Parts: sequence; structure tokens; C-alpha cells
Amino acid sequence: MNEGAYVQKLFGIPFNLSNDIPGLITAVIVFFLLFWLSRSIQLRPNKRQNVIEWLIDFTNGIVKGVMPDEEGKRFGLLAFTLFVFIFIANQLGLMLQLTANDKSYISSPTSNAMTTLSLAFMVLMLAHFLGVKKFGFKGYFKNTYLSPIPFLFPLSVLEEFTNFLTLALRLYGNIYSGEVLLKLIYKLATSFGIASFIPAIPLELIWQGFSVFIGSIQAYVFVTLTMVYISQKVEKE
Amino acid sequence: MSSTFLLGAANGVQWGDTIFYLVLFIVLMALLKHFAWGPVSEMMEKRADKISDDLDSAESARKKAEDLAAQRQSALKDSHFEASKIIERAKKNGEQQKATIVSDAQEKAQTLKVNAKEDISRERQDALDSVKNDVAELSIEIASKIIRKDLNANDQKALIDSYIEGLGKQNEAK
Repeated sequence: MNEGAYVQKLFGIPFNLSNDIPGLITAVIVFFLLFWLSRSIQLRPNKRQNVIEWLIDFTNGIVKGVMPDEEGKRFGLLAFTLFVFIFIANQLGLMLQLTANDKSYISSPTSNAMTTLSLAFMVLMLAHFLGVKKFGFKGYFKNTYLSPIPFLFPLSVLEEFTNFLTLALRLYGNIYSGEVLLKLIYKLATSFGIASFIPAIPLELIWQGFSVFIGSIQAYVFVTLTMVYISQKVEKE
Repeated sequence: MSSTFLLGAANGVQWGDTIFYLVLFIVLMALLKHFAWGPVSEMMEKRADKISDDLDSAESARKKAEDLAAQRQSALKDSHFEASKIIERAKKNGEQQKATIVSDAQEKAQTLKVNAKEDISRERQDALDSVKNDVAELSIEIASKIIRKDLNANDQKALIDSYIEGLGKQNEAK
């Protein structure tokens, strides 16, 4: 939200710190969580290893559902990192919202369109890059824009933009709306003192629970669509 | 929402965020690959290999066991056959032995019988011969007794003497 945006210019580049700080926090949480889970790796997995192996199996399953195995193997790490990062990012704002002096410091990084647009931009650039790398620019162009029917070319071009926007804005919209409602319930809780504070607690609780669900689904959807877009670029239709 | 995205454009997009997130994500991915993803997926692959190896070796072990069982089965069958052959041979041997023993015994019995018969006939011949002698003597004696029936004492005496003499002679002759 702009009222809390904390914009700082560094080397003439505008950084929105109320977006960057939670991103950094998310990354740190993700790293330490997975670092902790992946200690003492053994052939016979212990409890923590089971958790991380389940996660890896899950994201590998996403990739496997979209691409053949030998092609998809390269994207396991990307899917894994993307999924865990977005998942934690979605949950961060549910647990912690920090606003001081009208400047937001902690919220879900994914409740800011810049974040999701950046991520979508990144993965789609990667997809296009891999397409060019695999088929050459001509092959890539033909595969992406002229197949199956050449006269759909304008639609194909448009589709690339809509892919990008829908991928980013779907995630952003879901998480942002969730946070808006959380804040609204909080406002309700503080508006009439104790009379509204107590009934707002279960409301907030229910909405948080639902948001956890939404956050998980959106992380899954984002990763799945990313893999679909990549596979469209690296495989001949 | 209007704020960040639409008004944000009016304020100037904070495009530094994009750079920040790109760098953040790539660094995070590299770190995870080194510390979490790499070792764990390597171990998972190792485990998958081990499981498939174990399955293979279990398969080969099963095959080996089956072969062994078949071998044992055939050996058992062979030994059954051999045993029945041995028994048969033993039976035949026994039969043969029995036959030879019986025939031997019969032969022996036959010879014994023949011998006995011979003995008996010889004895009888001897007995007959001796009886003949005795009859001759007895008849002579009876004749001499009849002849000397009405003799007197002297004659009697003479007769007895002659008789005794005759006995002596007879004894001597014997």
C-alpha cells in the first residue's frame, strides 16, 4: 500500500524498502528453515529430512506433471525455490504486520505487485531464453508465435503479455486482498473498544486460516504455471 | 491497490525492487542448491539407486534360490531312482541266493538220502547174510539135538562134550 511505502533512492534507483525488507526476511527464513531441515542427511531419512524430501518430491511432482523427466530435471531446483519462497512470502504477512510512522516494514512481499511482477518477469524471461537457446531464434519464433496456425500471430504475441500479467496479478491479487481483509478486521477490532475486539478475534482467526490455504494454493499455482510456460517454450508443439 | 500499482506509476515505479528480487532470488537459489537441495536430492537419488540395486540383487538371489531348489529336486528324484534300483538289485540277489541255497540243500538231501538208502540196503544184506548163517547153524543144532534126544547119561555127557567142543570150535572159527 502506498501510504506505507518507504521509498529510498540508492544510486538513483528507487527502492521500495517496505517491499524489499519483507522480501529479505522471507529469503532469510526460507534459507534457515531449509538449512535446518537439511542437516545430517542420511540414507535412512530422519524426521527433518523427511520433511524436506517430501517438499522436494512435491515440487518435483509439479515439474514432472508438465514436462518429461529428462527435460524437467533441470527445473527441479527452480520449482523448489520458487515454491518455498512464495509460500513463505504468502504466510509472512499473515503472522506479522509491522507499520511504524505510516511506513510499512513487514507484510507479505507478494502483496505488492512489484514483487510478483518481478518474479513473473524473471521466470518468463527464463522461459523465452531457454526457448531461444534450444531452437535458435528462428525455431523459437516459429514455435512460440506461428504454431499451430500462423495467422494467430497477433493473438500469440498478446498471449505472452497476458501470461505475464495474469501470472503476476493472480498471486498479487489473492495475497493483497487477503491482507486488506486482515487489516479491515483489525480496524473493526480497534474501532469500538472491547465490544468489537473480542468478536473480531475469531473472525481474524478464520480469515488467517483461510489465507494460509489461499497462500498455499497460490504458491502451487504459480509454480505450476511457471513450469507450463517454460515447457511451452522448450518443447515443440 | 490503486496506490502501488497505478499511483506508483505516477510516483515513478520503484523498479529497484525488480533488481532486488532478481538478485535475492538468484542468491537464495544458489544458497539452497549448495546447502539444501543439492545434498538432499543427491541422497534421494542415491537411495533410489540403492533401492533399484537391492531389487535387482533380490531378483538374482531369488533366481539362484530357484535354481538350487530345482537342482535339489532333481537330485532327490535321482536318489529315489537309485534307491529303488539298489533295492531291486538286492531283491534279485536275495532271490538268487535263496534259489542256490534251496537247490544246494535239495542236492545235499538227495545225496544223504541216497547214501542212507545204500547204507540201509547194505545193512539189510549184512543182516540177511548173518541170519542165513545163523539159520544154518540153528538148523544144524536143532538137527543134532533131535538126533541125540534119547541118549543116556554117558552119551549125554559125550554129546555135551562134543557140543562144548563144537562151541569151542565155533568160537575159534569165529
